[in-house]
Amino acid sequence: MFFIKAYPIFAREGFAMFLQTEWDPGAQKYGVLQALVGTMLTSVVAIALAMPMAIGVAVTINEVLPSRLRTIFGSLVDLTATMPTVLFGLWGFYVLGPFLQNAVNTLAGGAVMTSPSTLFTASVLLAIMVTPYAAAVIREGYALVPKAVEEAIYGVGATRLEAVLLKLRYVISYVLGGFFLALGRAMGETVAVAMVVGGNYAHLTTNLFQSGITISSLIALQFGNARFYTYAEPALFAAALLLAIFGIAINTAAIYLIQKWQP
Amino acid sequence: MTSTRKVLNWIGMGLFVLLGVAATIPLFLIIIDIYSKGIDAINRLGGLWHFLTSEPPSPLSKSGGVGPPLIGTLYMTALGAIGGFALGFPLGVYIGEMRREKLANAARVGVNVLVEFPTITIGLFVYAVMGLVQDDLNRYILGPVSATLKAALGNSVFYNYVSWFVGPLDSFNAYAGAAALALVMIPYVALITASAYASVAQPLREAAYGIGGREFNALFIVMRKVVSRAVLTAALIGTAKIAGETAPLLFTAFGNNYYAPFTGSTGAVSLWIYAASETPYNVQIMSAYGAAAVLLTIILILFISARIKAIHD
Amino acid sequence: MQMTKTTTAIIAAVIVIVIVAVIAMWAGGTSRTQTPTSATQAPTPTTTSPTQTVSTTQTPTQTTTTQTQTTPSVRGVLTGAGSTFIAPQLQAWSNILENATGGALAVNYQLTGSGAGISLFLNKKVDFGASDVPMPEDLYQKYKGQFVQFPAIIGSIVIAYNVPEIAYNKTGKYLNLTSEIIALIYMGNITQWCDPRIKAINPGLAAELPCKPIIAVHRSEASGTTAGFTLYLAKTVPQWNETVGWGLTVSWPIDKLGRGIGAQGNPRVAAAVLNTPYSIGYIEYAYWAVNKKEFDAKGGVAYIRNDNDGKYYFPTEESVAEGAAAALQRYAQKYGAPPAPDADWNPVSFELPNPPKGYPMLSFTYILLWKNYTAEGYPDAATRAALLREFFSWVLTEGQKPGNIVEGYIPLPSDVAKIGLEAVNSVKP
Repeated sequence: MFFIKAYPIFAREGFAMFLQTEWDPGAQKYGVLQALVGTMLTSVVAIALAMPMAIGVAVTINEVLPSRLRTIFGSLVDLTATMPTVLFGLWGFYVLGPFLQNAVNTLAGGAVMTSPSTLFTASVLLAIMVTPYAAAVIREGYALVPKAVEEAIYGVGATRLEAVLLKLRYVISYVLGGFFLALGRAMGETVAVAMVVGGNYAHLTTNLFQSGITISSLIALQFGNARFYTYAEPALFAAALLLAIFGIAINTAAIYLIQKWQP
Repeated sequence: MTSTRKVLNWIGMGLFVLLGVAATIPLFLIIIDIYSKGIDAINRLGGLWHFLTSEPPSPLSKSGGVGPPLIGTLYMTALGAIGGFALGFPLGVYIGEMRREKLANAARVGVNVLVEFPTITIGLFVYAVMGLVQDDLNRYILGPVSATLKAALGNSVFYNYVSWFVGPLDSFNAYAGAAALALVMIPYVALITASAYASVAQPLREAAYGIGGREFNALFIVMRKVVSRAVLTAALIGTAKIAGETAPLLFTAFGNNYYAPFTGSTGAVSLWIYAASETPYNVQIMSAYGAAAVLLTIILILFISARIKAIHD
Repeated sequence: MQMTKTTTAIIAAVIVIVIVAVIAMWAGGTSRTQTPTSATQAPTPTTTSPTQTVSTTQTPTQTTTTQTQTTPSVRGVLTGAGSTFIAPQLQAWSNILENATGGALAVNYQLTGSGAGISLFLNKKVDFGASDVPMPEDLYQKYKGQFVQFPAIIGSIVIAYNVPEIAYNKTGKYLNLTSEIIALIYMGNITQWCDPRIKAINPGLAAELPCKPIIAVHRSEASGTTAGFTLYLAKTVPQWNETVGWGLTVSWPIDKLGRGIGAQGNPRVAAAVLNTPYSIGYIEYAYWAVNKKEFDAKGGVAYIRNDNDGKYYFPTEESVAEGAAAALQRYAQKYGAPPAPDADWNPVSFELPNPPKGYPMLSFTYILLWKNYTAEGYPDAATRAALLREFFSWVLTEGQKPGNIVEGYIPLPSDVAKIGLEAVNSVKP
C-alpha cells in the first residue's frame, strides 16, 4: 500500500531519490538520504546511551533496592512509557536542549553546539525515552533467574558484580529483546524527535551537534502541509518505505548473526 | 587478588546504580513537573470533578477540562489494549517458541519493523483501510444491526446509550482509533512475550512438553507460570504506550472537543495536549498540564493495582 | 493459576475503565447527548428548505455572546480540519455559538496542518477545511466551481528579537527593520547586531547595539507562517528570491553557517527567541501579543518598513488591517475586480505581502466549503449546509466583533468579510 502511495515519486525520480540529500519541495527536490543517515546516527547514539542505563535500572531495582520499593519504583519507571510523547518533546525542547547546549559548549570550551535543537539533543532525548522499555524487558528477565542458579553463583565465591554479570548472560535473550525494542522505538519515534531535531532538510550532516532530520521526523514535520506540493506526499511515503526496508535489512542481519553466535 | 576484586565489585556496582539513577532522573523530573503544574492547573480551572467532565477551554474561557477527550482515551485505550494483546500475545509465543522456523523469524523481523514504523504512518494506514471498508461495513453490517437494535429497543433511553457505541460509522470514529492503537501495541506485547518464552530453561521446556502432551497445553498452560510476570509487563507497557499516543489517532479518531458518540469523531487526551501545546493561551496550556496529570494517574493506578494483584497471586 | 488471575485483573481493569468512561459520559454528557455528528439521529426533514436557511442567516445578527438565544432550526456538530494557526479562534467561535444556541450548533475543529486539512476536505472526510494558504493551483483547476474559499481571519507575522542591551523595557524603543536587512540576516550576510546597516536605520539605538553574532530562529516544519514570511522576502529582496525563494519549507542559508535554530510551531519559535540572547525570529502576531511583557523585557518586536511608502509600521490591528485593505485594492486594480469566492485565491495571497501601505507582512487564513453538499455525496447534506451557513455567516459578522475575537487575532475589514458572506450564501444543501 505504501508503495502505491509512493509510486508517483518513483515514476518521476526513480530510486535515485534515496541517494539525494536535499529536501526542498519548492525547488522540486525530494532527497531523503540525509534523513536516513540522521535516523541511523540518532538511533545508534541513543541505543549506546540507553542500553547501559537500562541495565543499570534493572540491576538497581533487583540488586540494590529493598524488595518493598521494587514494585513502586519499577511501576514509576514503566509509567514514564505512558507519557504522551509530545510531553517528552516539549521537555526536550524547553529543558534538555538548552541544558545540553550549555554542557557541551562548556566542556568543549567553545561554541561547538550552536543550537539547542540538534541531532545530539534528539539522541539523548531518545535514549531517555527508550530506556524504560529496555529496562522493563531486562528487569523481568533478571527477576526470573532461578534461585538455584543464583545460589550456585554465590556458592563459588563470586562477588556481587560477577554475579550480576553472570546473571545478565543467563538472561541474554531478555537483554537482546530489550535491545531490539529500544532500537525500534528509537528509529520510529516521531513526535518527540520532531520537536528537538532542528529540521535541517537541506544538507547531509554527520556532525551530531548540528541540526538535522530523521525519517520519522521528516514525515511528522512535512506531512501536515505536504498536499501543497504535488510530489511531497508520495515522497514521504517513499521515505517510510525506505525506513521499513532498512529495518528489515538490519533485523534480518541481526537475527542471522544471533543465531549463528548462540547455537 | 581479593581486594582488587572487591574494589572492582564496588566500582562496577556503583556504575550500575549511577547509570540506573541517571536514567530515571529525567523521568522523575518530568513526572514531578507535570504533577506540580497539573494539580495547580486543575484547581484553577474549576476543581477536579469539573475538570474531569467539562469540555476543553477555548482561549476565552475561564475554566474547562478534558471530559470528552478523557472518555475517548479510556474507551479507545481499553479496546486497543484488548485487541493488541489478543493478537500480540499469540504472536509473541510463536516467535519465542519456534525460534528456528523461517516463518517465525520472518514474523520477528516484521514485528521489529512495526515498532520502528513512525506511528503517524500506522494512523495513515488505518485511515486508508477505513476509507475502503467504511461503506460496505455500514451498508451490510452496522446499518442492519443498528436498525435491529432500534426495532428491539424502541426509542428508549437505553437505545440512546447503545447508539453511542453501535451504529453506522463516520469516517473518523473510536474504533478506527482503537485499531490503530492495537497495531501500535502488538509489537510491544509480542517482543516482550517472545523474550519471556525464549528464556524458559530447556529442561523445564522439555518437562512441560512431557507433561502437557499436546503442544498447545505445554505452551499455554504449563509454562504460563514461568512467564506470567513478563507477559503482565508486556500488557501493561503496551497499554501504557498506547494511552499516550498522539500521531496514530489524528487521522483515525480525529479528536473531538465535545461529547459525541463513539461512532463519530472521538477525542483523546493526547490529541488535546498536542492541540493545547500549539496555542499561546494560558488557560489552554494549563488544561494540557492537568490532562497529563490525569492521564498519568489513571495509568499509575492501573499499574500498581495489577502489580499488587500479581504479587498476591 | 497465576496467569488466569492476572488476565482476570487486566479484564477487571478494562471493565473498570469502561464503567468510568460511561459514568463520566453520563455525568458530563447528558446535556449534549442530542448533538450527534452521525447521520442516524440528526433531525433532517422539513427544516432546511431554502427559505429556512435565509432565516438562519438572520439569526446571527441578534446573537449575543452571553445570553441564551432562540435555538436555530437545526442541530448538530460540524467537523473541520486544517490550519493550526486558526484553531484557538475557531474553538472560541464554536464555544460562543454553542453557548448562545444552547448546544444546538458547535464545530469540532482539529489541527491537522493546512495541507492535510485540504486533503481531508477534498476526500469529504470533514465538512470544511481551513488553510493558511489557498487551494494549490493544480487542485483548484481539478475542483474548479465545486467549492468556495474565503478568508476568515487575518494573520500577521512579526519579527521578534532578544537583544538585552536594547530591550524595550530598558530603552523604551523598538528596533526598525527593513525587508532587506531581515533577508540579509537570514542569509548570513549581516552577522552582528552592530552592523552599520542596522545602525543606520536605528539612530536612537545605534550606541547600544552590541557586537554579538545574530542567531536566526526559523520554523522546523512546513508551515503557512514560513510561506508568508519567505514570500514577503522573495517579493521585496531580489537576492533572496534568487537564492532561497519561498515556500512552506525552505533551505535556510543561515543553517549552513551554524547560526540558525529550527523550532517546531509558533510557541517554540517564540520560546527559542526568548531563551536565546541575540536571536531573532518570525512568529504569528498572536504569539507575541499574548507574551508581550516577556518580549519587552528581553528585546521586543520590530517596526517594519513598508518598501512602497517608505514608512515604518508597528504591528497593530489597525496597521495590519490597513495593509490588507490596501493589498486588496491593488489586487482589484490589477485584475479589474475584487477576488470572487470561487476564484483561484493564489494570486490574492501573492498580492498580500508588501502592500502599498500599512504593515507589510500579513496573510489570510482561508475557509473551504463545498458549493453543493448533496452533489458531493455528504449524508444529511441539507442539515450540514444549513449549519455551515449559519456558523460562517455568524463568524463573518458577529464573530469579527471585539468580544468574539481572541486576543492576538486581527478581524477582517468589512469589504473582505463581504466576499466571505457571498461565498457562504452560495453554499447549497
